Amino acid sequence: MDEDVLTTLKILIIGESGVGKSSLLLRFTDDTFDPELAATIGVDFKVKTISVDGNKAKLAIWDTAGQERFRTLTPSYYRGAQGVILVYDVTRRETFLKLDNWLNELETYCTRNDIVKMLVGNKIDKENREVDRNEGLKFARKHSMLFIEASAKTCDGVQCAFEELVEKIIQTPGLWESENQNRGVKLSNKEEGYGGAGCGGYCSML
Amino acid sequence: MAADSEPESDVFEITDFTTASEWERFISKIEEVLNDWKLIGTFSGKPLEKGIYTSGVWEEKSDEISFADFKFSVTHHYLVQESSDKDGKEELVEDALPLPMQDLLCMNNDFPPRAHCLVRWYGLREFVVIAPAANSDAVLSESKCNLLLSSISIGLGNTGCQVPLFVQIHHKWRRMYVGECQGPGVRTDFEMVHLRKVPNQYTHLSGLLDIFKSKIGCPLTPLPPVSIAIRLTYVLQDWLQYFWPQQPPDIDALVGGEVGGLEFGKLPFGACEDPISELHLATTWPHLTEGIIVDNDVYSDLDPIQAPQWSVRVRKADNPQCLLGDFLTEFFKLCRRKESTDEILGRSAFEEDGKETADISHALSKLTEPAPVPIHKLSVTNMVHSAKKKIRKHRGVDESPLNNEVLNAILLFLFPDAADKLTDGSETRPTSSAGSNPPPESEEYNLFSQFKSAPSDSLTYKLALCLCMINFYHGGVKGVVHLWQEFVLEMRYRWENNYLIPGLASGPPDLRCCLLHQKLQMLNCCIERKKARDEGKKANITDRSPGGSSGDTGKAADHSGGDYQKETDKEKEVGKSWESWSDSEEEFFECLSDTEDLKGNGQENGKKGGSKEGGKEFTNFKPEGRLHQHGKLTLLHPGEPLYIPVTQEPAPMTEDLLEEQSEVLAKLGTSAEGAHLRARMQSACLLSDMESFKAANPGCCLEDFVRWYSPRDYIEEEVVDEKGNVVIKGELSARMKIPSNMWVEAWETAKPVPARRQKRLFDDTREAEKVLHYFAVQKPADLARHLLPCVIHAAVLKVKEEETLEDISSVKKIIKQIISHSSKILRFPNPEDKKLEEIIAQIMSVEAIIARARSLKAKFGIEKCEQEEEKEDLQRFVNCLLEQPEVSVVGAGRGPAGSIIHKLFVNAQRVATMTPLDEELKRSGSADERRLISGAVADFPPPAGREVILRTTVPRPAPYSKPLPQLSVAGEQARWAPAASVSVLTVPSFDRGCFSICGCEMEPQEPFSSDT
Repeated sequence: MDEDVLTTLKILIIGESGVGKSSLLLRFTDDTFDPELAATIGVDFKVKTISVDGNKAKLAIWDTAGQERFRTLTPSYYRGAQGVILVYDVTRRETFLKLDNWLNELETYCTRNDIVKMLVGNKIDKENREVDRNEGLKFARKHSMLFIEASAKTCDGVQCAFEELVEKIIQTPGLWESENQNRGVKLSNKEEGYGGAGCGGYCSML
Repeated sequence: MAADSEPESDVFEITDFTTASEWERFISKIEEVLNDWKLIGTFSGKPLEKGIYTSGVWEEKSDEISFADFKFSVTHHYLVQESSDKDGKEELVEDALPLPMQDLLCMNNDFPPRAHCLVRWYGLREFVVIAPAANSDAVLSESKCNLLLSSISIGLGNTGCQVPLFVQIHHKWRRMYVGECQGPGVRTDFEMVHLRKVPNQYTHLSGLLDIFKSKIGCPLTPLPPVSIAIRLTYVLQDWLQYFWPQQPPDIDALVGGEVGGLEFGKLPFGACEDPISELHLATTWPHLTEGIIVDNDVYSDLDPIQAPQWSVRVRKADNPQCLLGDFLTEFFKLCRRKESTDEILGRSAFEEDGKETADISHALSKLTEPAPVPIHKLSVTNMVHSAKKKIRKHRGVDESPLNNEVLNAILLFLFPDAADKLTDGSETRPTSSAGSNPPPESEEYNLFSQFKSAPSDSLTYKLALCLCMINFYHGGVKGVVHLWQEFVLEMRYRWENNYLIPGLASGPPDLRCCLLHQKLQMLNCCIERKKARDEGKKANITDRSPGGSSGDTGKAADHSGGDYQKETDKEKEVGKSWESWSDSEEEFFECLSDTEDLKGNGQENGKKGGSKEGGKEFTNFKPEGRLHQHGKLTLLHPGEPLYIPVTQEPAPMTEDLLEEQSEVLAKLGTSAEGAHLRARMQSACLLSDMESFKAANPGCCLEDFVRWYSPRDYIEEEVVDEKGNVVIKGELSARMKIPSNMWVEAWETAKPVPARRQKRLFDDTREAEKVLHYFAVQKPADLARHLLPCVIHAAVLKVKEEETLEDISSVKKIIKQIISHSSKILRFPNPEDKKLEEIIAQIMSVEAIIARARSLKAKFGIEKCEQEEEKEDLQRFVNCLLEQPEVSVVGAGRGPAGSIIHKLFVNAQRVATMTPLDEELKRSGSADERRLISGAVADFPPPAGREVILRTTVPRPAPYSKPLPQLSVAGEQARWAPAASVSVLTVPSFDRGCFSICGCEMEPQEPFSSDT
């Protein structure tokens, strides 16, 4: 199964406690929903191979605990991630308001600045919605993120969210190639290129 | 083939290629390539704009074909033009000349500064060259040349291709080409003659005109006028009074122990030799008609001062020796060393041993004579090192690769706090220097996170620079190994004696920095905790035995070198800092085993409390380890205020540890058991927090804990009770109520133990030893690789700093490129050597550019220029010289720049004539040279290059033929050019009724056509 995998990607799931991070992940990896999922301690980890545009990508997904106290521990695992899913609960405004903190934390602990970010508004199956879809959209636009609303319970948008994210990562040059295939970004130095060609082609003196 | 597959068919006509010769196959391959590149047919094109050959983009396509087993490369060179040019087939005037022939007459692009030599000679916008594929191969024999020429002639004829096709003959360095261009009814032959010595009649215009006319053999009289373009090139090599200002630093002085011009922590910069070797002045007469000027072997009107156009180019020294570049390259070489530390030091130790046993008498005298005790100026720490070093290395200080003075200077630079210690005579408060001067939030400062190096004021960064310098000036790799050993010893000393390492930001390792920096920070964390623990232990002793066992306290105080007072101060500070949530770094965690004798009533009570189920029952032990009250929250049952406990800090991690740990966690797999085990492994921190919480809040329950720890898992609802009052009722969330979930489990096992008496979550002793071991096993190559990002970072900063003095826009751009390039390369572990070399090469090229700018500025005397406006013009001129292959001089010989150049030549001439070099004079034989000897000192030396383009349009071969362009190019070699100087003569020939071309080119010693 691993043989034709194009690359292995590290994906993070972060967000306030109880917004449904683990449930989203469980829905994505096992296609199940457990209303009584214990609160995550530290970080948890799941693997899934998906195929995007005919490319197989192995995802190592790190699920994190949302509790304040764990935040001294979990950011260590941000290292080297290529994608992050930032989750809030559409029925609890305070989880939406805390998004800025999470982004700050990402910026501080992430080792790369071109990480692909996706914002997911979870629990849209519930009736007591507090955060409008447009607010989520606006926030995502402001911070150049992907955005989708989802429900881990009804399965809405979950698969799509992960696929979008992976596709975007694959499309971002230098984000995954260099690390996994040891193939760096080629420097396109025009001047150098010209000079080189000039030398090779134009002065055949020796 | 067809016959083979269908034997029954009655096809009689079989085209048989089975006997096709190699030659035929070669021709068909040429045709194939021309077809593939779509060069077949007629193309129209706009007349060439002025200067388009320089400003436009040239591209080339290559393919390989072979003649039998001899490989040729076919290359199509072309000026990129708008696509519309190639669609204009319909508009063609019927008898228009093929485009290349029109280009021959176009005068807009004479003498292009940078172009293929064929472009320079024939003014072509497009052509194909067939040359031997291997550089060493050459087509030498005449019959082979003719065979190739015939091949292309047939190929062009068969395909109707109008693009000129050339064959490179003879050795490649001679740049000999023959070629052909065919159009409807016309044909141009491009030929060349390359002479070792220029015949006298070709050194002046009138002689060349005579040859041109005779070669054309035009039947018309009078001949149509010949238009002439002339360019004379003068070379200036002696700069005389403008000495290259920079001297290489005095290495001997440095080796002698005096740290001279170069301070540690700084990188050198600049070229050690003049990066500008020559100035070439081209004086051009672009449009002359025959008869306007006289230029023969006795007299010439071509006075360079009078030339209407002047242009200048500078010849840059190839790879001038630049200090920064050398530093970088040498340091990078370290990365490839294979030896381990022991191999490098051990070998020399062995040699020494051998020497000592051989010379016993010497050894004896050494023993008997009172050896001078090495006095270390610096610090206690130094004493310890040297002692250890001696023991370990079995050799004297004076024989180590680094002498003491240099070593001490470096150590003082790296550890400025050691000097404080020395002057105070006692330990000063260890200050974390990074904390005392807050890092500026500038872009430059933050470069370290892009490069994954270390902040520019950090110990790691300084160490990198010192190693870089030692590698270059003080004993190379041995010196590096020596300093590193000293450094590691210092680290151990600091760990063992609780001295914090200076120059590191406090807090957990910064994952944005290089691993070595993280390791140092880690070590500092360990020292900090050990120190706090040791101090806490002492404080405990005094706390718990007030006046009782004063002996103990005294001992402890003595032990710590009389800084007891300080420690109690420290303790006060700790107490203060506990008031804030985030600053609680100073708490200490004692191993349980350590506290056996200290078990107070709290501990016993704790045990009692802990034994009760979940702590739900009211207990009355004394609360311990409280940090502060949590808002207005009260415990659910006793109703007392809820306190946030002092907790253990999570273990600091370096990136390799993190990697290890995530690997372990990931290895547990994705099964339910795996997840459970993973949670359990990480629950130590949760358990510790729970224990601290229980200790701080006697009688608390899980709900209380959850309200602090995970507030959203405590759900409050307004309920109306039986009396009709609205009561807020709360309960744990569903997920917390899952039976035997990890939280409940942990809560049940948690005993009320304050953080200070819990088992340490972070074993600083073990981690510190791990770090120190890691340091000890680093080979010089490992070390260099660790620190290379810091060195590159420093080099970029240095280049940036130097650039701001010169303000060269192109350099700014390149620096930006270097930064973005490096940040892509350096952020990943183990970047490829090739890419690192690229970065270093880029930095070196920037250094060279800046050095050239400085050299040119000095030569053109910009600093001395008084008029502001003129100064600006000159500045612009110099910048153009750096960036463009050729710069035209405004006002030619009369402009401000022109007069400076004139003066430079005059000065050079004066010196040359005052001290004539006999040999050169004997060798010379040209008219100019004779004039020079005869006394009249010319302002300019004889031209090193003389290029003449002659053009005319005549009907050939008969007077009634169509008038067709004729062109000839000639140049002259430098007068003292060695045998390499050559000349080329293109002899016309033609076929059926048309047209030929004569090019004569005698080139100067150095090719002017293509400097990069």
